[in-house]
Amino acid sequence: MNQQPAKEVIDPVQRARIWYALLLVIFGIFVLRVFYLQVIRYTYYKRAALSDQLKQYSIPAGRGLITAHLGDGTVPIVLNQELYTLYADPVDIKHPAQTAAKLQPIIGGSISNIQQELQTSGTQYVVLKQKLTSDQSNKILSYQLPGVGTEGQDYRTYPQGDLASQVLGFVNNAGQGEYGVEQAMNSQLSGTAGELKAVTDINGVPLAATSNNILTAPVNGDTVGLTINVGMQAQVEKIIQSAYKTNKSKDVSAIVMNVNTGQIEAMANYPSYDPSNYSNVSNPDLFENDTVTNPIEPGSITKLFTTAAALTKGAITPTSSFYDPGSWRIDGATVSDAAIDHSQGQESVLDILDKSLNTGATWMLMQIGGGQINPVARQTLYDYFSNHFMLGKATGIQQGNGEESSGYLPSPNDNGSGINLTWANVSFGQAYTATALQMVTGISSILNGGTYYAPTLIDQVTSPGGKVTKVQPNAIEKNVVPKQVSQDIISLMEQNNARHINEGYPYLNFGPNYIVGGKTGTAQIAMPQGGYYPNLFNGTYLGFIGGNTPQYAIVVYNIEPTNYASFAGADTGQPVFANIAHMLVNDFGVTPKS
Amino acid sequence: MTYSSTLALGRQQNLSRGQNSVTFRVTDKRLGPVSNTIILIVLACLLGLLYLTQVTRTNTYGYQINNLQQQQSQLQQQHENLTVASAREQSVSRTANSNTAQAMTSVNPSGSVQQ
Repeated sequence: MNQQPAKEVIDPVQRARIWYALLLVIFGIFVLRVFYLQVIRYTYYKRAALSDQLKQYSIPAGRGLITAHLGDGTVPIVLNQELYTLYADPVDIKHPAQTAAKLQPIIGGSISNIQQELQTSGTQYVVLKQKLTSDQSNKILSYQLPGVGTEGQDYRTYPQGDLASQVLGFVNNAGQGEYGVEQAMNSQLSGTAGELKAVTDINGVPLAATSNNILTAPVNGDTVGLTINVGMQAQVEKIIQSAYKTNKSKDVSAIVMNVNTGQIEAMANYPSYDPSNYSNVSNPDLFENDTVTNPIEPGSITKLFTTAAALTKGAITPTSSFYDPGSWRIDGATVSDAAIDHSQGQESVLDILDKSLNTGATWMLMQIGGGQINPVARQTLYDYFSNHFMLGKATGIQQGNGEESSGYLPSPNDNGSGINLTWANVSFGQAYTATALQMVTGISSILNGGTYYAPTLIDQVTSPGGKVTKVQPNAIEKNVVPKQVSQDIISLMEQNNARHINEGYPYLNFGPNYIVGGKTGTAQIAMPQGGYYPNLFNGTYLGFIGGNTPQYAIVVYNIEPTNYASFAGADTGQPVFANIAHMLVNDFGVTPKS
Repeated sequence: MTYSSTLALGRQQNLSRGQNSVTFRVTDKRLGPVSNTIILIVLACLLGLLYLTQVTRTNTYGYQINNLQQQQSQLQQQHENLTVASAREQSVSRTANSNTAQAMTSVNPSGSVQQ
């Protein structure tokens, strides 16, 4: 009998042990894997997870507003507004014709052009329209057009249009101020951006239940209040625009300054530009505020400064007179007058201003030097021009960084190239350059009794929390001229104005209640190759209006006018001054004499 | 003999008869390691569930905050738009070109230059 071989029976206990060992191995593998993932690769996976979950947002700070005076209050003249850019992804546009038809009534333009843009190949981003309002954006989004979207962006908005655009400057696409107040006050206007670091869900919404979220609130920029008076600025701009057209000038600029504070209430140039469309300006020169960037040889308005210096030094008195030879020979050159080339006999200081005698200004310089132009005369006039009237130095006005020109004042030291002739020229307004701002600030320091106030465009700065910091008048120099000399200059300017009324300029008559004075300048223009243009002049004017005392100083630079009768100063500078002065009397409450 | 001792004597008599009897005695009831593990796991799960509930509930506040922030943003934008519109309405050029201003006449101006 065959006996079947006995089956090999595994002991159940043994089997259990095998399974147990197997499970232990598997469990061990899991443990090792988890250890690898969670300990060894900890940094990698944490970073990978956070890159999906942790979002970091920069919260832009609102740029500060710019305000200006209007009536008894202030109004914003530069604000922020969120506008929208309409874009499309041509790849996702399935029905360009229908999409274009939907968009056209909102964004304008032709349907065919829009359709063409929607079918642009090789790109996934086409800008269809910029600066849409929120209503327009919402309407477009409500159509839920595939491949079409809008994105918001803050823009500077100018409710007064192009008013004072060159004073204001603009903000570029990077959010930085350029030119004007926007650049000069950029750090105050910009504020400080905030930050949000947060773990978010799949919708990008920050999870509240995490301690890792960091929120730093943005700090909005300060509100900058200008000294500019909106109504006055608008009228000055209108006046110089009219002069620009009438005189067929290259540029016209004017400034109205409060003589007792240095505050600028109007500062205008024409031509100008629209700051909301600065990117469309083809000539970048238009961005510059010529009243601070464009120094010229100012011409005979300088005689006021020469007279003030000579009076202060005691070299002349208001009633002094001299025998006018008609011309002087200095350093081998002839210095003569613009209109008169022969002796007029005895001439007074008032005659020098009224007839704008270059020989008279040169004579005053000679008197400072004791009867001749010498180092004392040159050094003294240089000292007054440079250290009293601050010519040849930037004023520090709050305009774009490096935008302001300091002009040019020659050294009084003998350089062997006709220095006496140079300073004779300086005495009547040639051979040196100054901006309109330098001239009006200098004359203000004489008119107010002898204090040079730093010119300012900033009235106050208001923090987002409402803290107001007033900008106080900054007296740079308190002994520009003695009070008596101030009175003498005011009187001479007033008498000069009275003479002009009788000489055929009745519009300079402001009646008995106001004091008005001024001086014309017909300035020669230097040619690049040397010498002066024979038939091209700048018309300038420096004057004041007030009641008991001068209240406003006014400067006019009419650059290269080509349409006028006789003298650029009298025909193109003086009328602009008169119109501005009348406007101030009529609309801005110049305090009449009491 | 007390009543209790009488009863005890009676029980001893019954036992002595060799009959089946069940004795009840109090023993220490202790959970084994499996039960302990299961209970711990259940407790951990409950705690986890509680945590998840709270976290989810807290995170819904994130949506409320987000919605409120959006509302605030929209209101701020409306405020900005209205401020801009108001400033435009008050602009000098708009005022000067208004019908009212056009109908005005100058009262005794001090003079001007006709160029």
